[in-house]
Amino acid sequence: MNIGRTLAIARKQFLSVRHDPRTLALMLLAPVMAMLIFGFVFGTKPEHVPVLVVNGDSGKLAQQFIDNIDHTTLNIQNSTDANDAKNQVTDGKKTAAIIFPSDFSENTQPQILGPGKVLPPKGTKVQIFIDTTDEQLAAAVTQSLAEAGQKLVSKQNASPVTFQTDYAFPKAKDARYLDYFVAGIMVFAITVFTTLLTLLAFVGERSSGTLDRLKSTPVTEAEIVIGYELAFGAIAAIQGILLLAVAYFVYHILVVGSVFLAGLLIILTAIDAQVIGVLISAAAKRESQAVQFLPFIIFPVFLLSGIFVPVQSLPNWLKPFSYILPPTWSIDGIRDVLLRGWSISYVWPHVLILLGFAIVLSVLAVLGLKRKE
Amino acid sequence: MKYAVEVKDLIKDYSKEVRALDGATLKIPEGKVYGLIGPNGSGKTTMIKILAGLLAPTAGEVLVEGLNPQKEKRELHKLIGYMPQETALYNELTVKENLELFGRLYNIPRKELTDRINDLLGFVDLVKRSSTIVANLSGGMKHRASLAAALLPKPKLLILDEPTVGVDPELRATFWARFAEMQADGTTILITTHYMDEASRCEEVALINQGKIISQGAPKEIIQKTKSENLEEAFLKLTRKGGDK
Repeated sequence: MNIGRTLAIARKQFLSVRHDPRTLALMLLAPVMAMLIFGFVFGTKPEHVPVLVVNGDSGKLAQQFIDNIDHTTLNIQNSTDANDAKNQVTDGKKTAAIIFPSDFSENTQPQILGPGKVLPPKGTKVQIFIDTTDEQLAAAVTQSLAEAGQKLVSKQNASPVTFQTDYAFPKAKDARYLDYFVAGIMVFAITVFTTLLTLLAFVGERSSGTLDRLKSTPVTEAEIVIGYELAFGAIAAIQGILLLAVAYFVYHILVVGSVFLAGLLIILTAIDAQVIGVLISAAAKRESQAVQFLPFIIFPVFLLSGIFVPVQSLPNWLKPFSYILPPTWSIDGIRDVLLRGWSISYVWPHVLILLGFAIVLSVLAVLGLKRKE
Repeated sequence: MKYAVEVKDLIKDYSKEVRALDGATLKIPEGKVYGLIGPNGSGKTTMIKILAGLLAPTAGEVLVEGLNPQKEKRELHKLIGYMPQETALYNELTVKENLELFGRLYNIPRKELTDRINDLLGFVDLVKRSSTIVANLSGGMKHRASLAAALLPKPKLLILDEPTVGVDPELRATFWARFAEMQADGTTILITTHYMDEASRCEEVALINQGKIISQGAPKEIIQKTKSENLEEAFLKLTRKGGDK
């Protein structure tokens, strides 16, 4: 082995990086960004889970129970109407409604009838009306309540608090993490593959001269972008069918709502992903440069769109980044459809937002293609 | 005389340091086979891309078929056929599929498109290869397929960027015969080349060097004017003294 030749090879690599400052920036920035986001996402446990408390207790014990709840984990709001509280859970606005009966104080504490005459507490039940479609948030609620109950027992000498759990979405009562996870991973797969394929296709169009040739014909930029969207939308429909089939037949995931509606959300996801690919392609001259953008697609979608960790649990400063990612909306919508069984009358905002992304991004992509050089 | 292309004081800067066209002025009469001749890097492709509306000029006036290539792109693109220097075909499609795609972009009716494709495949000698994936063709074959795509819309102005690179002499002769036929039908053909022997086949040429047109006219006139043996010598003489104007 000749050390001079070996060093010449190493030197060449450094030189090529030096001549391409963007590569250098990406090499140094992308791993740091990935590590930071990973830490923030997985380092947090669910916080500020929205719950409603209906305190019908005629005594003071329920309030003490409520004070014992970890207020960082649960974001507690009070309500006086049990039915309204339950409706808010069924509408997906709150994760749980906690309803204390009027006899809570009376039947949780031992009754002192006179000196030496103490009746053991009769016991009563706190009703929890809970949405279990997000296993992590539901677990945060039940765990916080159990801890608050234990504190009450040890501090107030009360009898153990028992809970009666009712489910906002009874069919998703036993939803597993997998049921929750599948929507995320489907959207992730379709987003990354579609963006990557479009990105490479468009960089190819630019570098091979076909884009110039297209642009010298009567075809308009809008026709090019929409033509691509039609093709990728159709491919996504087939991908969606395959992924849903695997999820259903192999993983036996819970499907409460319409698979067609889930399919529509998947197609919209693919269209959004495709236009993002077209947009990014404008910044890449070669395939090798296009590939450098991948971490910037994969990591944010992987970590911020609610695939593993509910958006609810992210630090507040990260949430806006979540909301500007189309996959966040498709994952949420698909979970609403598959687990909650929601119809279009509930998930139309998701459809509209994904459609909005598609329109705005398409306009930007068309303008990008029209950009004068 | 009507002109297919009128260019005046055209400037194109790619950056502060790189000026590709430096005040080029050019008139291409309708119905001519016109050559834009110059070495690599002289500004030929930049000029052609501006004419085809693919690049915006930094300054100067451009009219192609009486239209402004930037403002009246749509109308212009119905009138021109463009063959870029790169093969510019979809590698993963067959020759025929590529031609069908480009034909559809011009809204050529199906029956007519089939006829035109069959005719052009015969002309570029690719009948047997019509179902071959472009990626599997040789360089010369790709070039021929690319030419076929440019001829497909029967354009009023045909712009060909280095059309005969990698084409064997026999086929090159066929190409020129076809160009002559098209010209007889009224088509204006603008060809760039750095082959001086090929340039002599054009009725008129413009010699371009470092972004400036250094001479224009019939090849014979330029040769006579510069007291040269051939166009190559004329070009060398002109570049040495910085043009004949």
